[in-house]
Amino acid sequence: MNLDQLIRAAAAGDQAAWNELVERFQGLVWATARSFRLSRADAADVAQTTWLRLVENLDRIREPERLAGWLATTARREALRHLRLHGRELASDEADLFESPVDDPLEVALLAEERDTTLWRAFAQLSERCQTLLRLLVSEDEPSYEAIGAALEMPIGAIGPTRMRCLDKLRAFVGADSALQGGAA
Amino acid sequence: MNADANDELFEELRSVLHRTDPVPAEVTDFAKTALGWRRLDAELAELLEDSALESEAHALARGTAGVRSLTFRSDELTIDVEVQPGMLLGQLAPAAAATIELQVENGDVAASAESDALGRFRLPVEGDGRFRLRVLRPGASAVETSWFSI
Repeated sequence: MNLDQLIRAAAAGDQAAWNELVERFQGLVWATARSFRLSRADAADVAQTTWLRLVENLDRIREPERLAGWLATTARREALRHLRLHGRELASDEADLFESPVDDPLEVALLAEERDTTLWRAFAQLSERCQTLLRLLVSEDEPSYEAIGAALEMPIGAIGPTRMRCLDKLRAFVGADSALQGGAA
Repeated sequence: MNADANDELFEELRSVLHRTDPVPAEVTDFAKTALGWRRLDAELAELLEDSALESEAHALARGTAGVRSLTFRSDELTIDVEVQPGMLLGQLAPAAAATIELQVENGDVAASAESDALGRFRLPVEGDGRFRLRVLRPGASAVETSWFSI
């Protein structure tokens, strides 16, 4: 089934069609929900609300090809709403500088390789915008630039250059971290 | 040169993020189950305004700073809701005699109320979570609001 057919079938109650939609777009929704540096627990709430919004609107979608963009816009708005209503643990970017970037025990435990830990630390030092963009880009094999633009409120033409800039910064942070640990020298 | 190095770094990052930050299973399960909550016999009153998304300056200008207010709209009905401690204060426009049900996520009705002649209603609400309202007017089709969190 193509996207249009999946949406129509799901709107009529076809659970298999709906599951396929969830599996196709859940990476995008999750990556967007994690923007504004929301924790996994907060992002889970945001992602769930986003899926409820889609269920509410299933019978009103007129342009199936814009579904990815709609989901990203919705998840971004719900993330912002969550942030306004509940705040978050890290209050400001400045606070981040003094926090250990790797503070989730689950995440630390999973990073067996030193190289992975270095990369994760470097990623955590990136700006929120870079983090979200890179999360969105890795969330799918063929990411929709329209959806990413919607998630970040970024012109589509700026995505490629920004991706390059964010990766340059990431590489610089990785280099600095390796140098500090003296491993490479 | 940099482009190649960046592509390699990008693939490494993909692998790290997939391992450390996968979509939680409870989100996938919730999303799949959510199809069961689609409206079958009601019109949607969409959440159009939420004071939580307004700037503070805007809220101050409207005199609503500190009070959460929500506006839902269907083709023919507007539902304004103010979130107060332990209760929701609502207003239907146009004013109508109606039964308003407060639904919680499992589909149960947590509370219900009748609106008065001016379309006002009051619903007790316990704790926080996701809710939606279902408005039943004699001789008109049911209206259900978007889900909202308080």
